[in-house]
Amino acid sequence: MTDREVRAAVRIRGLRRTFGSVVALDDARLEVRAGEVHALVGENGAGKTTLLSVLAGHLRPDAGEVEVDGASVFGAGRARGWSTRDAWNRGVGMVHQHFALVPRLTGEENLSLGVRRARSGWALPTDWVRERVHRIRAETGLEVDLSRQVEALSIGERQRLEIVKVLLRDPRILVLDEPTAVLAPSEVEGLLTLLRRLAGEGRAVLLVAHKLDEVLRVADRITVLRNGRTVLEADRAAVTARSVAEAMVGDAEALDAPQRTTVEPGEVRARWLGRTDGVDLELRAGEIVGIAGVEGNGQRELARALAGRETAAGPGGSGGAPGRIHLPDRVAYVPQDRGREGLIGSFDLAENVALGHHADPDVRGGPGGAFLRWNALVARTREMIHTFGIRTSGSRATAASLSGGNQQRLVVARELHGSPELVVAENPTRGLDVAGARFVHDQLHRLRRAKHAPAIVLVSTDLDEVLALSDRVFTIVRGRLTEVPEAERTREGVGARMLEAGEGRAARAGEGTS
Amino acid sequence: MIRARWWGPFFAIGLALAVTSVALALGGYDVPQALGALWRGAFGSEQAIASFTLKRSVPLLLTGLAVALAFRAGIWNIGAEGQLYAGAVAGFTVGFVGGGLPAAVVIPAMLAASLVAGAAWAAFPTVMKLRGGTNEVITTLLLNFVAIHLTAWLIDGPLQEPQGVYNETAPLPESATLGTLWPGTDLHVGFALAVALAVVLWVVFRFTRVGFLIRAVGEGPEAARIAGRVDSGRLSAGVFLASGALAGLAGAVHVAGVDLALYPGLSQGWGYTAIAVALLARLNPLAVIATAIFFGAIQAGGTSMQRVAGVPLAWVNVIEAITVIGVLIAARGRSRSGGDAGAPEAA
Repeated sequence: MTDREVRAAVRIRGLRRTFGSVVALDDARLEVRAGEVHALVGENGAGKTTLLSVLAGHLRPDAGEVEVDGASVFGAGRARGWSTRDAWNRGVGMVHQHFALVPRLTGEENLSLGVRRARSGWALPTDWVRERVHRIRAETGLEVDLSRQVEALSIGERQRLEIVKVLLRDPRILVLDEPTAVLAPSEVEGLLTLLRRLAGEGRAVLLVAHKLDEVLRVADRITVLRNGRTVLEADRAAVTARSVAEAMVGDAEALDAPQRTTVEPGEVRARWLGRTDGVDLELRAGEIVGIAGVEGNGQRELARALAGRETAAGPGGSGGAPGRIHLPDRVAYVPQDRGREGLIGSFDLAENVALGHHADPDVRGGPGGAFLRWNALVARTREMIHTFGIRTSGSRATAASLSGGNQQRLVVARELHGSPELVVAENPTRGLDVAGARFVHDQLHRLRRAKHAPAIVLVSTDLDEVLALSDRVFTIVRGRLTEVPEAERTREGVGARMLEAGEGRAARAGEGTS
Repeated sequence: MIRARWWGPFFAIGLALAVTSVALALGGYDVPQALGALWRGAFGSEQAIASFTLKRSVPLLLTGLAVALAFRAGIWNIGAEGQLYAGAVAGFTVGFVGGGLPAAVVIPAMLAASLVAGAAWAAFPTVMKLRGGTNEVITTLLLNFVAIHLTAWLIDGPLQEPQGVYNETAPLPESATLGTLWPGTDLHVGFALAVALAVVLWVVFRFTRVGFLIRAVGEGPEAARIAGRVDSGRLSAGVFLASGALAGLAGAVHVAGVDLALYPGLSQGWGYTAIAVALLARLNPLAVIATAIFFGAIQAGGTSMQRVAGVPLAWVNVIEAITVIGVLIAARGRSRSGGDAGAPEAA
């Protein structure tokens, strides 16, 4: 194991960490060698993020050994002072799933934070940053917007900025937590190429991801975590997508993908026209309309408008009037940022279930319906926990105590309650593992075939998801929606429309209207 | 959200008393004597409890509720002081003009006027916040000074007592004053009113739909808007005005229950102490009853501590300030561990 030529950049053994009664990690093992791309995969709640937090110095484990670059940083007889600063100094660079950017500062200012250059004195080292960013862009094709404030950037743009921020520091051990989830297909390729190149320079690259095809394309070795334990450590060549997925789930039967059925769209029950910056869209009950697009092309505004939520266009958005939208009464919305827009972390599950359903007749009580019937809400929550298989200690647990996948189950459970006439789901499987994504897909699929099926709009940056589930497929480019003909509904066909085709289309539209 | 852990209040009070004791000892005071005087001044007799501690707690309780209500919704209303003055002036004016009417008419009219005036004093910051996004901390704070000086000018001008000698108004007519709650003491019925309002507010937060939505807007504004479909602008406006109204009520209750006339500088900074009262109570209306009485006791006891042990009254402010610091320390511990607990959620 400890051959001199393959030096372990990171070696973790017997790692254990609990949060109260929840065991997040239990005997986790991981060895990442210099010069390799190492993939860490596992279900939501398998302990991936906890493991990374330990590596980054955010969390102290309860037991186990951690070695970074040959030196023990935690373990028997070692000092307990492994901090985020130590992690930096040892060359551990981490791209987090949750962004650590200052919204009010520009991209350039954010990148300059924490960078110390002798010559810049008290000023921000912006020249240095700009030069480095140009070089990174030239090497990797990673585009970032340096001049705009971060709060004006889309999630995809913010994540690119996060990656660049870590690359600025030239880390020896680069850790990326779900980096590809929000990138456009061409950018994913660029990133994977970049990861290979960085590993080729002798760095260790640890990639946490849930999309197995990407992982298998880029990784040299793979570690699979399940329920906080390492269940598989293998060379890429020794595994198949199936064997990795089985190791993750621990159950081969759960894997078979939902069959696409050819159910005719049911009777038209909800029908309306929406116009958002040149959008004409007619939705039918019992039909899934997929909208694919690269982050930041107006799908967010469109989704919110369709869901009847506020239509305020952000900076760089359309800014136009929402136009005529005729919405049915019961609209369900699964927002993309479930932690911020879907749930309140400090509220318990029953309180979160009450959100948006506080006006339901069966939960209102007292004079004038001014009171909430918490008994009814708790009963409803318990039922959801049961039917949707939410793993939690009970309806009084806070939403923040749930893993990402279980949070999404809770949001889906709440939104589908009360037979909605329209369901708008925005990147509903982002950050979810195989089982979690399958759960969401199953729900959408079942819903579509239900007796009183709603119209379903699936807005997603994940092309595979859109193609697999949708009856009709649209692409959205700069706020313009175009339907993809049946013949072009392939990964390549739609991907091309999402990127190049949009440019000409948008330009032509500009000539036509202005 | 500045919400301490459950042990925060006890930690804060313990810290305040410990630090104060050490400082007093270093200053050469007789600490046991001073603390003894503090205790006796606050709780040593029926008079101490009712006429001093509880009576002083009334404006703190009402303004504390005002602050707790606003903070729960994420509105940083620092203007309870100014809103209190507005309510005091309006309540006094109505009581003075309508003094010939029976108490059953004039008292409710006074209280209603103070609610409206307090809300009106909060209206400008509300509009500025919701229309232009102006930070309410600044607008409410600055309006405090406007209210204080405007009140002083009114007392020196249009509302001055008939002889035009003293810097005060004429006294309120008998029918426009609050009755006694605890016979033989100075405790007026305003205390019962304040406690009742605390219970009502607690019920609102805990059991009603609007209370739930207020908490949602405060804890997760995005989720409340998007998942909860709450019109957060309207809700925030309502909460802001209601907070101002409660603080305004404190002014009228104090004038009608204690001062019985309008004086410049009628509040001893209660609108600011209210922030400490609310935070120490972790923004829980029922707990505000206890923390308001605690601060009332410190102020009542401080007077006796000065008389008996020669400790300057300013030490009361020190105790209050350290209590707030203690609450903030406990809240800091909470947000840190909150980050910890957040780790597995994304795993």
